[in-house]
Amino acid sequence: MLMLIQNEWMKIFRRPGTLVMVGLLLLMVMITGSVIKYQQNQTTVQKQINWKADLQQQVDQSKQQLEKVSKVRVPSIKRSIALNQYQIKHNLNPNQKYSMWDFVSDGSGLIQLAGLFTIIIAAGIVAQEFNWGTIKLLLIRPISRGRLLLSKYITTILFALTMLVILFIFSLITGYLLFGTPETVVPYLKYVNGKVAEQSMISHLVVFYGMRSVTMLMLSTMAFMISAVFRNSSLAIGISIFLMFTGSELTMLLASKFHWAKYILFANTDLSQYFDGVPMVEGMTFHFSLAMLVSYFIMFQVLAFAVFKKRDVAA
Amino acid sequence: MSAVVEIQNVTKKIKGKTIIDSLNFNVKKGEVFGFLGPNGAGKTTTIRMMVGLISITSGDIKISGYSIKKDFEKAISQVGGIVENPEMYKFLTGYQNLLHYARMSKGIKQTQIQEAVRLVGLSERIHDKVKTYSLGMRQRLGLAQALLHDPKVLILDEPTNGLDPAGIREMRDHLRMLAKERDMAVIVSSHLLSEMEMMCDRIGIIQRGKLIDVQLVNDFVNGPEKFIEIKVSPREAAIKLLKHHFPEIKVQVREKGIIIPLSKEQVPLLVREMVIANIDIFNVREQSRTLEDRFLEVTEKKGEALYAYADTK
Ligand SMILES: Nc1ncnc2c1ncn2[C@@H]1O[C@H](COP(=O)(O)OP(=O)(O)OP(=O)(O)O)[C@@H](O)[C@H]1O
Ligand SMILES: [Mg+2]
Repeated sequence: MLMLIQNEWMKIFRRPGTLVMVGLLLLMVMITGSVIKYQQNQTTVQKQINWKADLQQQVDQSKQQLEKVSKVRVPSIKRSIALNQYQIKHNLNPNQKYSMWDFVSDGSGLIQLAGLFTIIIAAGIVAQEFNWGTIKLLLIRPISRGRLLLSKYITTILFALTMLVILFIFSLITGYLLFGTPETVVPYLKYVNGKVAEQSMISHLVVFYGMRSVTMLMLSTMAFMISAVFRNSSLAIGISIFLMFTGSELTMLLASKFHWAKYILFANTDLSQYFDGVPMVEGMTFHFSLAMLVSYFIMFQVLAFAVFKKRDVAA
Repeated sequence: MSAVVEIQNVTKKIKGKTIIDSLNFNVKKGEVFGFLGPNGAGKTTTIRMMVGLISITSGDIKISGYSIKKDFEKAISQVGGIVENPEMYKFLTGYQNLLHYARMSKGIKQTQIQEAVRLVGLSERIHDKVKTYSLGMRQRLGLAQALLHDPKVLILDEPTNGLDPAGIREMRDHLRMLAKERDMAVIVSSHLLSEMEMMCDRIGIIQRGKLIDVQLVNDFVNGPEKFIEIKVSPREAAIKLLKHHFPEIKVQVREKGIIIPLSKEQVPLLVREMVIANIDIFNVREQSRTLEDRFLEVTEKKGEALYAYADTK
């Protein structure tokens, strides 16, 4: 299996296109950093002396709101109240200078780009073998089709991880060079089950990246499935990227009208809705979404493997 | 000699259409078996079934006794092949391509890769990207790829496609050598009929999905009886004599003689009679027909087969 993955890895990274992808990702991090740096130079942040008073004011406002707003917004307001109160109590000034941590957090927007590249790889990894005609030489080896497909899927996931790690580490480096470390060590405050807890910045960011990558994982798996079933990489790329950009909006639209929208894949890909936000459809829980994601995942895999193993390879 | 490849009653249907119809034949160790047929006869389809690329509707194919259906991995590990064109990863070098396939079989050493490269004569260009290769070089790389794991059975679909005369000759020598020295069973399909004649020990003719004949190349070319060309004078006297001895015989008249179907044993008798009858004999010659003549005769689809021949040029 290791050998097979090694083969796939070689085929991915010996193509110039892949190196261009990595280059683009690095370039985008640098551009994002430069833009933020430029904006900072325009506006100098003033450090408020009486920030505690400001926070207290916010808390009071929020408490008044709490009585008026609809029920769905209550948890998020409660969360902000709890966080503010915690900051006042533990003397954590929220108005810190923009640091590398903020940059890494902002840089997570580029996960979409990494996702895009992973989708392209996932869409091609099976379909291209058919386009090139190399599938014929690949399948006449003493290796079952199932193992071959599995090695290709594992390689796709490894590629996704590699892109994420490159993005994360390069963002850290760029952030450090452009913005430096924070003046005081500020922990990340998380709000779980009505309680506020401290967490180190780096572990928070790793979890944050992981959560934001769920969409990427699911869409790549879908692209992989389409690629294995239809042997057509353009189709796989087209559908996956279309859904990547419109999926969540479309689902949101449906969710406002229909209750069954919660069964749509994109209603469940954003797991952070359960940590700091409002679920898309009322009554959805973290475990429900997890179950839905696993179901979709299994469905994609079963389709891909069943069709690929049975298929007659002509042409 | 024992059969390494057994094709047992193989039928393939695609969308209700029978493409291969109850094929039966064996290929033995150390022989080059030619698979011959006009365009669309089903050669490629049969080869695809042999290597497990497509399913077998009914019947079975066994390689060294292992069923390709039920024991795919064991059966296929004995097989090296090229199906239609040898498509390679163009963005990799020849060597990386071979390394890629070597990793997919168990226990192939680096020396084996190098040996395969040397055998097909690609040593000089092996570290160049495949996209810079000529068609002939790709064919050679294809052959190297098929030989990596020292298979017992070599299956090649039109291996001489795109090769120049020197290349064809070289390929032919390679295949004969592999069969004789390494005791491989070599199966080739080709449109180049004259090619098959020089390359194969036995050929099977397939037409519209049915195997219509399997014969040793020598027997096949000459058929059960030989044609004898005799240059005689006077011609008419000779024909009269012939009709007297063989009333049924069909005589083809040529400018300076006649052509008659006759078995070898009958030739001395005829010569003796002619001498007695005072007929001058200038020349008695066995007419060897080419495989192509015979092929066209057997398939009786001259137009299509001729087209097939022209197509490969
Ligand atoms: N996937 C398919 N669907 C329908 N018919 C097919 C399919 N594949 C092959 N055929 C038919 O099966 C027949 C045999 O095709 P095959 O490619 O095996 O011929 P061949 O002997 O290799 O011909 P050629 O000499 O042109 O290479 C043809 O009539 C072809 O049209
Ligand atoms: Mg063919």
